[in-house]
Amino acid sequence: MEAQCRACLGWRTQDRETLFMASVTIRDVHKKFGEAHILRGVSVDIADGEFVILVGPSGCGKSTLLRTIAGLERTTAGEIRIGERVVNDVSPKDRDIAMVFQSYALYPHMSIYENMAFALSLRGEPKEEVRQRVERAAQILGLMPLLERYPRQLSGGQRQRVAMGRAIVRDPQVFLFDEPLSNLDAKLRVAMRAEIKELQQRLQTTTVYVTHDQIEAMTMADKIVVMRDGVIEQIGAPLDLYDRPDNQFVAGFIGSPSMNFLEGRFENGAFRAGEGVVLPAGKQWKATPEGDAVYGVRPEHFRIDEAGIEVTAVVVEPTGSETEVLVRVGGAEFNCLFRSRVPVRAGERIRVLPDADQVHLFDRTTGRRVS
Amino acid sequence: MLRIWRQNQSWLTPLVLLFLPLALFLMMIVWPIIQSIVISFYEWDGTGPATFIGLDNYRELFADPQFFTSLKNNIIWIALFLLAPVFGLGLALFLNQPLGEMRIVKSVFFIPLVLANVIIGVVFTWFYDPTFGILAIVMRFFGFEPFAILSDEHFVTFGIVFAALWAQTAFCLVLFLAGLSQLDGELIAAGRIDGASGWTLLRHIVLPQLRAVSFVATIITVIGSLRNFDLIAVMTQGGPYGSSTVLAYQMYDATIFSYRAGYGAAIATVLFLIMSIYIAFFLRHTLRREQRGA
Repeated sequence: MEAQCRACLGWRTQDRETLFMASVTIRDVHKKFGEAHILRGVSVDIADGEFVILVGPSGCGKSTLLRTIAGLERTTAGEIRIGERVVNDVSPKDRDIAMVFQSYALYPHMSIYENMAFALSLRGEPKEEVRQRVERAAQILGLMPLLERYPRQLSGGQRQRVAMGRAIVRDPQVFLFDEPLSNLDAKLRVAMRAEIKELQQRLQTTTVYVTHDQIEAMTMADKIVVMRDGVIEQIGAPLDLYDRPDNQFVAGFIGSPSMNFLEGRFENGAFRAGEGVVLPAGKQWKATPEGDAVYGVRPEHFRIDEAGIEVTAVVVEPTGSETEVLVRVGGAEFNCLFRSRVPVRAGERIRVLPDADQVHLFDRTTGRRVS
Repeated sequence: MLRIWRQNQSWLTPLVLLFLPLALFLMMIVWPIIQSIVISFYEWDGTGPATFIGLDNYRELFADPQFFTSLKNNIIWIALFLLAPVFGLGLALFLNQPLGEMRIVKSVFFIPLVLANVIIGVVFTWFYDPTFGILAIVMRFFGFEPFAILSDEHFVTFGIVFAALWAQTAFCLVLFLAGLSQLDGELIAAGRIDGASGWTLLRHIVLPQLRAVSFVATIITVIGSLRNFDLIAVMTQGGPYGSSTVLAYQMYDATIFSYRAGYGAAIATVLFLIMSIYIAFFLRHTLRREQRGA
């Protein structure tokens, strides 16, 4: 494995010296389909070798953004650069990118070898060179025994791997992934997640990856771009988004189970969410203005504490390693996640306290972070 | 009774459901074929008593120059008719653009499909008419002396095939448009990223996906060319001097106009053999391809 890895890196560095740095720069990109305004001024800087994940609910424009980087869609306005080159008017084949599709898009009438060799053959590379590169990629991905087969004879995971192989034989400047794992079952998805991440770290190729699954985004990305309705809500490292979401949307989207939001009023150094529900203010909230607001706290940041607020357990879900409890107080319901087994049964009253270091305050109308 | 039914339902049900179509198929298709083959060994005027004459009909047929004219014309028909899938594909690729106006253009191209062959024949007969036909007018405009295509033994078959091709192309066009609408967009995108465009994209990515449609279009076109006789009947009745006859028309002519049902059946049998050989060859070819991949 080590030797293969070095061989593979060798072929890259050699090519690399002759190319510019493969950063991707997206400047104020707009995309309209007729009346529908899918991208409304999107700007992202992706550094050379970075693994960036575009994440958001369906219809947020993340796939469209990826397809504009690929050149499959034209931008309505704005600029896309790969390296130093503006590629707005460059066709996909001349952008030096490779893409892995959700359906894998393997050519059904070609063998696995032919699938992987297709791009190189079209470029007119010598046969022997093509064979060596396909076999090298096949070795890295463990596809050697499958080269003579056809896509329909392969399992989902194997097809996924072939799609990746087809991308890496080309040694592109940028990898684009469009929800590559969503057709796999849960177990395989976790395995492939690790495999893709490892491969990217080994090849050091700039990667843009689209998913709607925030766990995929959190576990794989160097940098996450959270999108909604054609605009970017926040860009940042996974744990930064988790610790300091810019707004209520990002706060609710990142993290699982998702953050609890309680409406109420912040005054006199505490947060009041209805009759008698008083939650502690965050430690750094000294400068935070008083007024109506939304209090955000993640389920895992509650602990059982005698000093806490009294709530009624409604649903108790023990998973073995942790316990999720849905609780009710006043008119509000929220989730608590305890990292241990807690002897609580549904209907019992318990006292829970949020960690004052880990609570957030959002504006009630704009959803922006105010704390 | 009910118990027997329950126990054997799994194989009795398909049998019951198959009975009617199978009976119809045997009665309407298989039995007439057998009957035709049997009749081909008889001298029979279609109504009176039939006399068994063994292979005499076939001996006469293979000595009949008209048979070879028909055979030659059939080959011309097949060769030219195979342009229909090609033209159909070309037109379909052109019409398959996401423009609203294309819908109108498409429906114009569909027109031949709704016309009966007989009407197409009549219209083209006028079209070729040397006195008032559009073709004659166009030729005169360019300074050529118009001639009667359908009365010229060298051009008559081409004239009829052209009319038939017009309708057949529309048919293939519809098939290919349906095929194109089923294309996998992600495959096309993958091809474009892999560096295919224009001709290479068509050849390596689009055409392989249209293989099933092309197969159907080709089979139907070849069979259509072999069994076509209505256009000939309307436009020339096989003339002049039998020069535009094909096997199917010769069979019809011998049976209906010359009262030689036995001889007609012999022609039908030969035609049947040609078609069977062709279809068997084509089926084997595609089945093998399908086994290999795709």
